[in-house]
Amino acid sequence: MKRLLILLGQVAFFIVVSIIMNALVSILDWKIPGSLLGMFVVFLLLQSKVLHLEWIETGASWLLAELLLFFIPPSVGIISYQSLMLHEGIQIFLVIAFGTTFVMICSGLVAQSISKRKEHTRP
Amino acid sequence: MIAGICGFLFTIFIYLIAKRLYRYKRILLFSPLLFTPIVLVIVLLCTHTSYDTYNAGGKWLAYMLQPATIAFAVPLYKYYPLLKKHAAQILISVVAGSAVAVVSSALLALLLHVDHHVLFSLLPRSITTPIAMNVSEMIGGVPSITAVLVLITGLLGSVIGPYIISYLRISDDIARGVLLGTSAHGAGTAKAFELSPISGTVSSISMILAALVTQLVATIIISS
Repeated sequence: MKRLLILLGQVAFFIVVSIIMNALVSILDWKIPGSLLGMFVVFLLLQSKVLHLEWIETGASWLLAELLLFFIPPSVGIISYQSLMLHEGIQIFLVIAFGTTFVMICSGLVAQSISKRKEHTRP
Repeated sequence: MIAGICGFLFTIFIYLIAKRLYRYKRILLFSPLLFTPIVLVIVLLCTHTSYDTYNAGGKWLAYMLQPATIAFAVPLYKYYPLLKKHAAQILISVVAGSAVAVVSSALLALLLHVDHHVLFSLLPRSITTPIAMNVSEMIGGVPSITAVLVLITGLLGSVIGPYIISYLRISDDIARGVLLGTSAHGAGTAKAFELSPISGTVSSISMILAALVTQLVATIIISS
């Protein structure tokens, strides 16, 4: 029970931060999402030891572990584009499948080759 | 309202079943990000429920993406020394990958004669949803279509990512993280955390960098 309360409290912390940051970017009229700003702010608070890791670590781990759940409602949104998907669904699928494969090959191989080069230059 | 609450609870229920099924048998169909939306779409279609009715409850789950994005600060902090050490490697690979993402989407879409609105909505599809929608609007796409395309990308990416990693024999934790985060944003990052905490952290920083690079390039192109 106590563990659940701790988890809920820590998750609530992240929700409150996101509400504050969303308000802040809309007041300042910044073009970045509030959640990205929030991530930088929490990171800086951790770095400067204002926030201690153990105060928020349980909540953060839970949010990241259940990340996929939060993607589900927007992905059901595909149902609103039935006619688009019927007419161009196959082309769209092909663009995404091949495009994603290219991105993976490129970024993965570049990163891997830089790692290998580093290993070679090391004595 | 009641339909919204039902949608909310039903989504969690199906998700938990999918997780259990996937733990029991690791086949693609049971992957929660594939199984749950398929079941939900079938249920909505069969019960003639509109997406808006469902989303009255669903949007509260989707909202949790924002606190979850903030939660990336924790692994970022824990692995900061490691990220700093590999900063150049990560940055170069992400910039290369992001360029390929936009150029390949444009060329493939032109090749396959995809409608122009859809083409512009496709360009930012490999970055995280809020920034992708932002970019889509800037370049003349349709933000809500982009949101769906971003999700299809994430889904496909987290499915084909592991195959590409093993086919290309990418053994480096950093490279695995870069590959998943640059190509498939948060969904890829969730996959990367399954591989290792280092890959997951590198993936989250790659996802952020890819989003910032794409937004920056779009801003420069639009204002020039």
